[in-house]
Order: sequence, then C-alpha cells, then structure tokens
Amino acid sequence: MKIDLKKVGAWFDDRLALTPIFKYMTKKEVPQHSHSIWYYTGSSILLFLMIQIVTGIMLALYYKPTLEGATASIGRIMTELPLGWLVRSIHSWSATFMIAFVMVHLLAIWFTKSYRKPREATWMTGMMLLVVSMVFGFTGYLLPWDDLSLSATKVGTNIPAAIPVVGKWVTQFLRGGDDVTGDTLTRFFLFHVCILPLVIFAILVVHILLVQKEGMSVPLKDEIAKKKVPALPFWPNFILREVIIWMVLLGTLLTLALVFAPSLGLPADLMAPAPEGVKPEWYFLFLFQTLKIFPANMGPVTGEFVAVVLILLAVVAIFFLPFLDNKPDKKKGKIFTWLGVLGVIYAIVFSIWSLL
Amino acid sequence: MRAIRFIILVAFAALVLSPLTAAAQAPAVPDAKAKAKLETELSKTTAAPQEAKPEVKPAAPAVPAAKKPIKKEVVRTEPIVPAFSGIKEQTAVYVFYAWLWLSIVILIYFLRLWVKEADRVYKAKYYEPEESPLKDHPLPPCLGD
Repeated sequence: MKIDLKKVGAWFDDRLALTPIFKYMTKKEVPQHSHSIWYYTGSSILLFLMIQIVTGIMLALYYKPTLEGATASIGRIMTELPLGWLVRSIHSWSATFMIAFVMVHLLAIWFTKSYRKPREATWMTGMMLLVVSMVFGFTGYLLPWDDLSLSATKVGTNIPAAIPVVGKWVTQFLRGGDDVTGDTLTRFFLFHVCILPLVIFAILVVHILLVQKEGMSVPLKDEIAKKKVPALPFWPNFILREVIIWMVLLGTLLTLALVFAPSLGLPADLMAPAPEGVKPEWYFLFLFQTLKIFPANMGPVTGEFVAVVLILLAVVAIFFLPFLDNKPDKKKGKIFTWLGVLGVIYAIVFSIWSLL
Repeated sequence: MRAIRFIILVAFAALVLSPLTAAAQAPAVPDAKAKAKLETELSKTTAAPQEAKPEVKPAAPAVPAAKKPIKKEVVRTEPIVPAFSGIKEQTAVYVFYAWLWLSIVILIYFLRLWVKEADRVYKAKYYEPEESPLKDHPLPPCLGD
C-alpha cells in the first residue's frame, strides 16, 4: 500500500494548524551584533532540560523513594545495571550545566539590559525558571539518601525556620514533620519528578511565548540611535549554528560525565551526627557561606534571620529589576550594571571561601 | 545537492543513535558471568562462617543439602565508586566515545557547509520577493558585505 505523505501532512496541518507556525519560523529573525553569542545560551538550556528528562526517566525506572530502598536502589543502578553509573552521572552533570547556563543567560540579559520595556515579564519568568531549577537541584540532592545529602538537606530545610510567623510551618511542610525522615524523602521525590516538572513546563511555555511575541532584543545603543540592526533568519541560518553548539555541548557533557562520575556516599543514618565538611551543591555555596558569616545573635533577632531576610530581599529586588532599572540608558542603568558585576564577584568569592 | 546532504546527515544521525538504542535493549544484568560473580560475592559475605570450617561440609552427595543461609542485609561501609563492570564494557564505552567525537567533528563539518550555503542564499536574497520588508535589510556582520 502506497502512503501519500502529502495527504498525511495535510491531515496533520488541518488539525494542528502547522502552516502558520512554519511560516512564522521562516519569517522569524535573530539580530546579529557583537553580543549575539548570548542568544545561544537560551536554547542550550532546553537541550540540557531534555537530557535531564530522558536520564531522569531512566533513573526513575529503578529508583525506590523509601528509607530502605533509596540508597540501595541507587547502588543497584551504579553497580548492576549496564552503564547505570554513567546515566546517573549524565543526569547529575546535565543539572550542573543547566543551572550554570540559566545563570549565564540571566547575567547576559542583565548586562545587555534586555529586560527593558517591553520584556519585563520575560525577565520575571526567567527568574522563576532559575529558582525552580535550583529547587530541582535541592530536591534531587536528597534522593541518593547518603550521609552528605541527609545533612545538607537538614541544613537547607532548617533555613526557612528563621523567617518569623511562617518559617516553622515552611520547614515542617518541606520535611513532612519536625525532622528530615523518610517522609521528607517521599515528598522530595514527589516534588522532583511530578510537581516541579509541571511548574517548570508551565513557566517555560509562557517564557518562550513571550520571547516569540516580543522578539529578541537589540543592543541598547542601537535601539536609542534607532539603527536598523542586521539580522539572520531563524530558519535555517540561526538554527544550524545552534545545532553546532549543541553538538559540542553534548560531547563535552558526555565526556565530563564519563571522567568525573559522582560516587555514592555511605547510607544515611538518621541517628548519626552530621559528618564533617557538609557542603551543598556549588550553586548554593555562596548562600551557605553568607549564612555562616552572620553571628548567632544580632540584637533582638538571630543572625540567621537577618541573613535570610537579606537574601530574600535580594531575590525580590532581582525579580523586579526591570522596574527598578527603568532608565537603563541613564546613570541609574550603569549603577545596576555595576551592582550586577559586584553580585557576580560576591558569589564567586563566597563560593571559593566556602570550599576552603 | 541538498537532498544528498540531507541523506548524509540523516545517515550520521542514525549512526549516532544506533549505540544508544543498542544500550537500551541490553539486559538489566550484563551477562551470566557478571551475575555469577555477584552471587559468589554475596555468598562470601553471608556464608563466611561456614566456609571457615571445611570439615563440616557434607562428604557424600547422598546427604541432603544444607539449609541455605538466611540472607542478611549487608550494611555498606564503603562509598560506591563508579566503575566499569569489566574490560569489555570499558572498551565498548571508550570506543563509543571516540566514535561519538568523530561523529560530532564530521557532523560539524557538514553543518558548517550547510550554514555557508544558507548564508549565501540569504545574502543573495534568493527567497525574498520584491515586496519583502527584508529587501533593503542590512546584512549581518558575519556574512560580510
């Protein structure tokens, strides 16, 4: 039987209205200038997200989110299943790459002032994606249920307790009780594989739609000068360049996952004291060190409370950055650029300090 | 020409994906040898006291087999370090990685040709009708003048 591919295509086109999408793809343009390289970070994040989903599903086939089964199942994945340790390593490295690229993407937007009108909502959804990605990392860190992950989660889930009124409730909600137990593991697993993926996809769809609606931003000076910025068609010129970058990133990711595969620590013991040198994932190190430098008591309140409030204020300020920096071409804009530079230096210095 | 390039690209993509699909179809336990090794190790840990006294072992085959020792949960005292299950797996993985990077290099070579061609077509404004808003559009710096 001969299948008429044109008819099949027309059938799908009738139902899914694909023609306007393809037409849009061929008409869509990407501005080309000295900062165009940063446009590629956005699509790279999608690549890592896809890798996360695929490897995450493979791991979830064998993982057991119970006190007895968690570390044993990861041990089984690493020792019994063919290349299970490599799949786990790819999942772990892909998470690192994804969060690193989200951060680079956000910083690129910050320094090129691309969050300016009319792209405020795009920035805000991007910030939400960063926070959700970090929560993904936090919930995933506990799942191996080894001594380090247990201690790091105890520290991490205790931080919200410093917030007045709701703090203790938040900690109890995260832990599923007063302490980190098997219930915490179950709900972290649920968050990691069910709730957070739904949340990230919902925000991602809005983010991508906003990017398509507003188009990609041009450099600020060109916009002020009302200069016509040169552009490349999205299809095929830009997408082919993206594929080249994806290839290199994929090869780098797989190589790093092979050479620096993570090991699995000793099974967590709820009664044992916290082991020495408990450290969170690299993207939480500067926050961890910030909490450590504050003294135990600062007048009527605890040092932890002051640190948590300052961190929350910083996050809220960054979230509303497009409204705070509403004159990006003026002196105010330069101040915010320098604040961003200081923030990056602060995060790097404090992360290194935390490791020493 | 485009069709030939497309076919070459598809062929390479299939080559890249074929080991992945093969790995997905592989059994959960690599082979019988590895399984036997695993069982031996397990029996060593659980039945160590019996093995220490060889004289207790039944001498004649007529004696009914001794009761299997109850499997005790072994508490792990060492971290699990990721490692290949054998030289066969190690070789396979290294060969796969060499082949992967070779594929990436070749694919990038072809993709660069494709990019050049797409840029040339765009520069020549081949697909743009007379009334297109892109007609007098400035060319990106990467395309030159």
